[in-house]
Amino acid sequence: MTRAILLVVVIALFISIAGGAVGNAFGLGFLGAPMAHIQLPAEPVIPEPLAKTDTAFIRDITITNTMVASWAAIILLVVVSVIVSRKASTVPGRLQGMIEMVFEFFLGIGESIAGEHARRFFPLVMTIFLFIIVNNWIGILPGFGTIGWVESPKKVLYHAEEKAERAGEHVDLAHVDLQVFEGTGALVMLPPGSVDNHISVEEYERGEGFDKESQTPGLLIPYLRSANTDINTPLALALIAMVAIHWWGLSTLGIFGHVGKFINLKQGPIMLIVGLLEIIGELARIVSFTFRLFGNIFAGEMLLIIMAFLLPVIGLIPFLGLELFVGFMQAIVFSVLTLVFASMAVVAHNGEHH
Amino acid sequence: MEALGLHLPQLIAQIVGFLVLLFILSKLLYKPLLKVIDERSAKIKESLEAAESAKEQAAASQEQMQEDIRKAREEGQQMIAQARDVAARFRDEEMAKARDEIAAERAKAEADIQRERDSAIEDLRQEFAGLAISAAERVVERSLSESDHRDIIDRVLEESGTIGKG
Repeated sequence: MTRAILLVVVIALFISIAGGAVGNAFGLGFLGAPMAHIQLPAEPVIPEPLAKTDTAFIRDITITNTMVASWAAIILLVVVSVIVSRKASTVPGRLQGMIEMVFEFFLGIGESIAGEHARRFFPLVMTIFLFIIVNNWIGILPGFGTIGWVESPKKVLYHAEEKAERAGEHVDLAHVDLQVFEGTGALVMLPPGSVDNHISVEEYERGEGFDKESQTPGLLIPYLRSANTDINTPLALALIAMVAIHWWGLSTLGIFGHVGKFINLKQGPIMLIVGLLEIIGELARIVSFTFRLFGNIFAGEMLLIIMAFLLPVIGLIPFLGLELFVGFMQAIVFSVLTLVFASMAVVAHNGEHH
Repeated sequence: MEALGLHLPQLIAQIVGFLVLLFILSKLLYKPLLKVIDERSAKIKESLEAAESAKEQAAASQEQMQEDIRKAREEGQQMIAQARDVAARFRDEEMAKARDEIAAERAKAEADIQRERDSAIEDLRQEFAGLAISAAERVVERSLSESDHRDIIDRVLEESGTIGKG
């Protein structure tokens, strides 16, 4: 029995390898697609700017794929909460029971960490958890990062030049890759078995490597991208969390009690320096909050992209499980750290009692 | 920073999105569900307390019952003892009465017998006296001395006395 399972796994792995990028080198690669374009900033889902003005700030306003994904997560959460709260009863159903389990987990740790403040911290901590976990989990659904519109070669080249200019280099046209899509429609995805369907801008400019009538060269800009792979989302969460933490500190200890932790003029020069170090610590918390979540989820997505390239369809499955776990852990870590920092903020230093 | 994708409008959009979510979930999910959780824990506490008090009540009533049984048993025993007492007294009284009656009857009978005997003795004495006189008369006829006379009478009397007493 176990031997049969092992055999199936090995065969599946071989199919996966043969169907992917490695197999492509030997003329197979029937499952693979060219590696998706990876970039740090989120891409806009609408190619043109929303408003045509001269004000740079307004012209910069776009709807990015990460924003779409995060709003999808928000709508999903709101719909679920409407369904649950409409039927909320003291004898819970399955969905309510599941959500209550999460509630009780956070109420439990809240009470053990923050004591009487647990109920005050609960809404934010819970929302952070739900928002992050839903975003992380919908981020690995099929369709995220694989369906989108095509950015034209001209724009691809423009962005590449912009990037090279910032780095003080020149653009090598032979190394700017374009993907080649079947058809000329607005909505595209890369079909299986298309590992070789990419050309360089140089080839494009010579009109080589693609059929002008039936194929579209360019880059796939996905409509959906996991929200936490865009640094703006973790940063937004970190800023909200830290503002809330300091607000709780201020409202519990009073202005002098809370600010006194950071600007301490009463207890000599050592405590003054300790206070200043605390300020740096608070800033570091924002950075660590942001990059812990961003780094984990972005790296997870990169891993999935690369695994989809190397071991398409089948070899990807364990990594999807891994990403589910990472997404859950990051949600827990972010929310529990918020809780811990909040409970530290409402406690006065040096045993002073308010 | 720009290479990282940091972008103020997007940051603001995400902050707004999250705050909207926080607001909606607070109103729509946390409030009702926390209420339900609190209600349930209150209900559980209440029913636990009710169970506790019911248990206490049961224990108390059992104790009461035991007490009642004990009291009833005691009372019963007391009543039996009393009855036994009364019976004993009654018996003693009756026996004493019977004994008295018997004694009285016996005394009466004895008195009667005595009287009968006395009267019989008297009768006999009378008769003996007559006999003695007649005997004496006969003896006298044979002329006896005064002292002989007396002697004979005494002897006769003595004999008759032994008859009466015998």
